[in-house]
Amino acid sequence: MVQYNFKKITVVPNGKDFVDIILSRTQRQTPTVVHKGYAISRLRQFYMRKVKYTQQNFHEKLSTIIEEFPRLDEIHPFYGDLLHVLYNKDHYKLALGQINTARNLISKIAKDYVKLLKYGDSLYRCKSLKVAALGRMCTVIKRIGPSLAYLEQIRQHMARLPSIDPNTRTILICGYPNVGKSSFMNKITRADVDVQPYAFTTKSLFVGHTDYKYLRYQVIDTPGILDRPFEDRNIIEMCSITALAHLRAAVLFFLDISGSCGYSIAQQAALFHSIKSLFMNKPLIIVCNKTDLQPLDGISEEDRKLVIEMKAEAMKTVIGQGGEPENEEGVLLTMSTLTEDGVIAVKNAACERLLNQRVELKKKSKKMNDCRNRFHVALPKPRDQKERPPCIPQAVLEAKAKQAEEEKKRKTEKDLEEENGGAGVYSASLKKNYILASDEWKEDVLPEILDGHNVYDFIDPDILLRLEELEREEGLRQAEEEADDFEMDGEELSPEEQEALAEIRKKKNLLIQQHRMKKSTAESRPVVPRKFDTDRKFTTKRMGRQLSTLGLDPSLAINRARSKSRGRKRERSVERGEADGGDTMDIDGNQASKKLRLRSMSRSRSRSRPPITEVLPGEGLKDSAQKSYSYIETKAPVLWETFHWKDGQALRHVQEIKL
Amino acid sequence: MRIEKCWFCSSTVYPGHGIQFVRNDAKIFRFCRSKCHKNFKMKRNPRKVKWTKAYRRLHGKDMTQDSTFEFERKRNRPERYDRNLAENTLKAIKKIDKIRSDRASDHIKNRLKTGKVQRQKEARKQLEQGIHLVKAPLALAQDSSLHLPKIKVNVSQAQTEENRPMEE
Repeated sequence: MVQYNFKKITVVPNGKDFVDIILSRTQRQTPTVVHKGYAISRLRQFYMRKVKYTQQNFHEKLSTIIEEFPRLDEIHPFYGDLLHVLYNKDHYKLALGQINTARNLISKIAKDYVKLLKYGDSLYRCKSLKVAALGRMCTVIKRIGPSLAYLEQIRQHMARLPSIDPNTRTILICGYPNVGKSSFMNKITRADVDVQPYAFTTKSLFVGHTDYKYLRYQVIDTPGILDRPFEDRNIIEMCSITALAHLRAAVLFFLDISGSCGYSIAQQAALFHSIKSLFMNKPLIIVCNKTDLQPLDGISEEDRKLVIEMKAEAMKTVIGQGGEPENEEGVLLTMSTLTEDGVIAVKNAACERLLNQRVELKKKSKKMNDCRNRFHVALPKPRDQKERPPCIPQAVLEAKAKQAEEEKKRKTEKDLEEENGGAGVYSASLKKNYILASDEWKEDVLPEILDGHNVYDFIDPDILLRLEELEREEGLRQAEEEADDFEMDGEELSPEEQEALAEIRKKKNLLIQQHRMKKSTAESRPVVPRKFDTDRKFTTKRMGRQLSTLGLDPSLAINRARSKSRGRKRERSVERGEADGGDTMDIDGNQASKKLRLRSMSRSRSRSRPPITEVLPGEGLKDSAQKSYSYIETKAPVLWETFHWKDGQALRHVQEIKL
Repeated sequence: MRIEKCWFCSSTVYPGHGIQFVRNDAKIFRFCRSKCHKNFKMKRNPRKVKWTKAYRRLHGKDMTQDSTFEFERKRNRPERYDRNLAENTLKAIKKIDKIRSDRASDHIKNRLKTGKVQRQKEARKQLEQGIHLVKAPLALAQDSSLHLPKIKVNVSQAQTEENRPMEE
């Protein structure tokens, strides 16, 4: 609405249509199916939704109406007044007010019925409530039907109003009816206004546009004004009065010199004087039209006096704006729209006057000061007549000249390429222009990678120095290392000791293995005790070997073992020679094989046995006392049992019955 | 052309090998082979993966700080070519390399020295404590060194020393 585009207001439907639209929308956009078997909350929700939906739609539509119609206080006073003139301000406001109340009423209805619906206990009741709500809303709308119709008419009329921008350059054309305003309008703009011989052909404002000095001007054609008191004016005249009153424009007051409009110059002058208050601060030009019928010079004296008076008035406005008083041409002009004589002059004069006035005003405003500062160009004041052109040093000029020469003589790379065989054959040496300490180095190829390192990471001008330092450090460090190593060597084992250690470890491992085997087989397999040595593992030879590896002399032990197991006769054979290699014997003297003992005991004793309590070497007893004690402890109870095996509990000390 | 370092295991990546991964924050990760790449994708931390250089350096297994590392530095400003300098650099690289590897192996040797000392002590103790398994106390009393006893060979038996341990 800012650009006074009243064409964009939505159509206001009339009452019945309004109701129809909303109700049909409700029916389409809300769910329609409901059964009385549904849960009560669902039923309530169903109907509440319908009521609310209807209310919302009404609210929306009415709000759009209220918002889109312009508020007379908020628009330009020109439009405000124009609308007031055309459609009474009060009626307009009342209509909009009614719409507003209707909106509020509908909201209230909806709220109340929704509250009631919350307690609806059956489908029928909820439905009736909804019907009642909707019905009441529709009644409200029906009641505001006339307002809606009125607003619709206003809207249609407003859409057809000319789009006048009150702030831009405007030229207003006014005067009595039939003086030639519309014809002038047609002449200078592209507007096609009705031109007819009867009065009040133009019944409202018309806008046309024209150009002057690359700027666009609005030209407004008004209906004719009659000379009447203010209150008696009709709507049409009021339009032009409004325009005159509110638009800041150049005014062209049209005067019909010939009087063919039906009104004399005197009447027109009277009109002029009655509305001259409206010409305050506006550039005024009095245009004498229809000079083809009656030239300006040929009018009567009184008429001329009146014209002069009007001119004087017009001059006042010129002076009031600060224009030069000598410029009389711009104030009173003659023209004829029929012959198009002077039309352009009039237009130009009007545009010029308006432009000047606007520029003056703008110059006085604050904004101009800001701009003006930016336009200032500072020039030093010349103190004498000497010319001072820009100074270019000679060397630069020479260099420029030389460069230009070189450009022509230089041999390019492309020429070189073509000489040496063309694009595929010749490959330019990119290193040709390198600046190096010696020219022989230009074609050198430096490897980028060496031994897993990037060579470019190592390049350093003082690499030699640093390398020397490093080598010195390294020498020192190596010396230290050697000293350390030297200290360390004391702790090692000699090779014989290492041998011994290896043997120890082997033996230990063996023992561990045997133990593990024994452990694992002990429960599952019974072990044959050693005395039943069927494999004949335990020989004196073996014992001898083991003892000698331990570093002992085995001969004594072997002899003893043999003597224990063999008995006396065998001893002799041992003494004779051991070539046969020895028999398998038990090495433990105490546990002789049973067979052999039996045999030896059954034979007569050739050698006396020592007494029981005498300790033999190899038995492991300290002295005879210990031996006798051991007998008492171990053998005596066994002997007692063997001799007393007949004794029972009951037969103690029972004497034998003598028969 | 440059030799880069694998981000995961810190080994050298020659041109034409491996994969480069550029993240959205423009950080570049180079990998020498798919093993490192896959480990990275699994979000493993190289400082916790035993076989990487990062782990070894962090846990002091390899040499970390040394003046030989300062010779090799990425220089962004190229030097003007000088033949003598280039020659010297190439020779120097070899020497520096040798020194660096020597120092690295020394570092490792030093690290392992304490273990060696300990092991030697243990061996000595074991020898002292276990000598009774291979040498009878009588023999020990006669010859108090911790060597294996000398076996007296009976000529008539005609059995040599070497065969004895095997028969058991």
